[in-house]
Amino acid sequence: MVRRRVAITGLGLVSPYGGDLANFFKRLCAGETAIRHLLTDDQPRPLSIPFVACPAFDADAVLGKPLAAMMDRFAQLGMAAAFDAWDSAGLPRSAGEESRDDWGVSWGTALGGTLAYEKGYRELWQRGRERLSPLSVLLGMNNAANAHISIQLGLGGASTSHTVACASSAVAIGEAFRRVRSGEATVMVTGGSDVPQAYGVARAWEALRVMAPGNAETSPSACRPFAGDRRGLVLGEGGAALVLEDWDHALDRGANIHGEIVGYGASCDHSHLVRPEVAGQVRAMQAALADARLAAGDVDYVNAHGTATAEGDPVEIAALKSVFGKRAETLPVSATKSMHGHLLGAAGAIEAIASVLALRDDALPPTINLAGNLDPACTGVEHLTAARHGAAPRAALSNSFAFGGSNAVLVFRAVRQ
Amino acid sequence: MNSIALIREFLDERLGVASEKVVPDALLVDLGVDSLMMLELMFAFEDRFGIKVPSDLENPKSVGDMVTAMDGLIAAGGVH
Repeated sequence: MVRRRVAITGLGLVSPYGGDLANFFKRLCAGETAIRHLLTDDQPRPLSIPFVACPAFDADAVLGKPLAAMMDRFAQLGMAAAFDAWDSAGLPRSAGEESRDDWGVSWGTALGGTLAYEKGYRELWQRGRERLSPLSVLLGMNNAANAHISIQLGLGGASTSHTVACASSAVAIGEAFRRVRSGEATVMVTGGSDVPQAYGVARAWEALRVMAPGNAETSPSACRPFAGDRRGLVLGEGGAALVLEDWDHALDRGANIHGEIVGYGASCDHSHLVRPEVAGQVRAMQAALADARLAAGDVDYVNAHGTATAEGDPVEIAALKSVFGKRAETLPVSATKSMHGHLLGAAGAIEAIASVLALRDDALPPTINLAGNLDPACTGVEHLTAARHGAAPRAALSNSFAFGGSNAVLVFRAVRQ
Repeated sequence: MNSIALIREFLDERLGVASEKVVPDALLVDLGVDSLMMLELMFAFEDRFGIKVPSDLENPKSVGDMVTAMDGLIAAGGVH
């Protein structure tokens, strides 16, 4: 079986902080939250929740008006992140002489164009319109983001969307990785984007009683993974992208290699739709390590799924202890969702970026709102409550565990150049 | 607003086409209107003038063709 090395040559995102990638990671390591209070003007009951938005994102300016008009916000965020990653990889947007017939896109989104459909319902039911724009289907379809990315970058290989709730983009990245490793694709654009502030979606999450409450004052500290007083997750919108590339291809063109993706493991709890299970998460982590041909002792950082729900956090810690054994006690773990929120279908991608940068820059980002506040049920790993520099981490795990019991784990390795 | 003004506004908004290029003899395809955008343009006419464009209407080729077809529909039963 062909087994090529897979380089990460491009990273890009629409930052909830409003700046560029370097700024994003700097603020993450500084323990700065992007979570704010969202108050909508919906009648009669506005949304009033902690949320992570990208208010500085101007789709018309970044994508140009004609392209932006063809997209729902989830595709706009995805396209912008993909352009950012592509440009950072040093690849021209237009194909030159080199064929891109086996270059593809593997994209994660939990909700796709739900916001576009919701706009349609409002038009029909609230505003009494009889018809919808002919673009509605093309704005709403779940594969809109990957389709636009393929078109804009002239990529002729597979173009797919993956909808696996909170693990969507971890699965998308894992599948992209396998395509490059097997030699089927030379380059894959991968990542995810989501826009969970659709009114019906936010209300549905509230009904599950897993969303942290918060007002203008308390929202910034509303997400407290592993803390004794955690109250639940905080949703956010966003887009994050990586360029995965055949190692030799990257070397040949002198590309800057940020890191290496070396493993992907997936599993299903096969027991309950929302109650996570240790055994299923253990299977995914062990499969990912085996796929990477690494031992538990080779891992120096875990970017946890860590959503700050009552049930989820202790189960993940128990799974980590099972996989890492004695090593767990000194294993650095953090949940960056405490700062950038839960981006649903983009969560795996933004956390993959945080993991790759943690290895590349030798800086492990923290879990905020946790110092002095650890839940006794979540002890047994080394929780990072402040950034750690100079640990020279060799490999990192990024966990994504979805409703439905679908688990996806990615493994990255540092490349010291 | 008349028909050609709507076409000018639409093409400026969507594609940034200068309004002096939107003249009766100009071909819509040359101005950047593909089959999907043609649907959007017809939708804009339906929306603005309260008309119904029949699904079997042949796609107009030029700006002038479009104006003639839409003016006919508006005269025959526009709401506004």
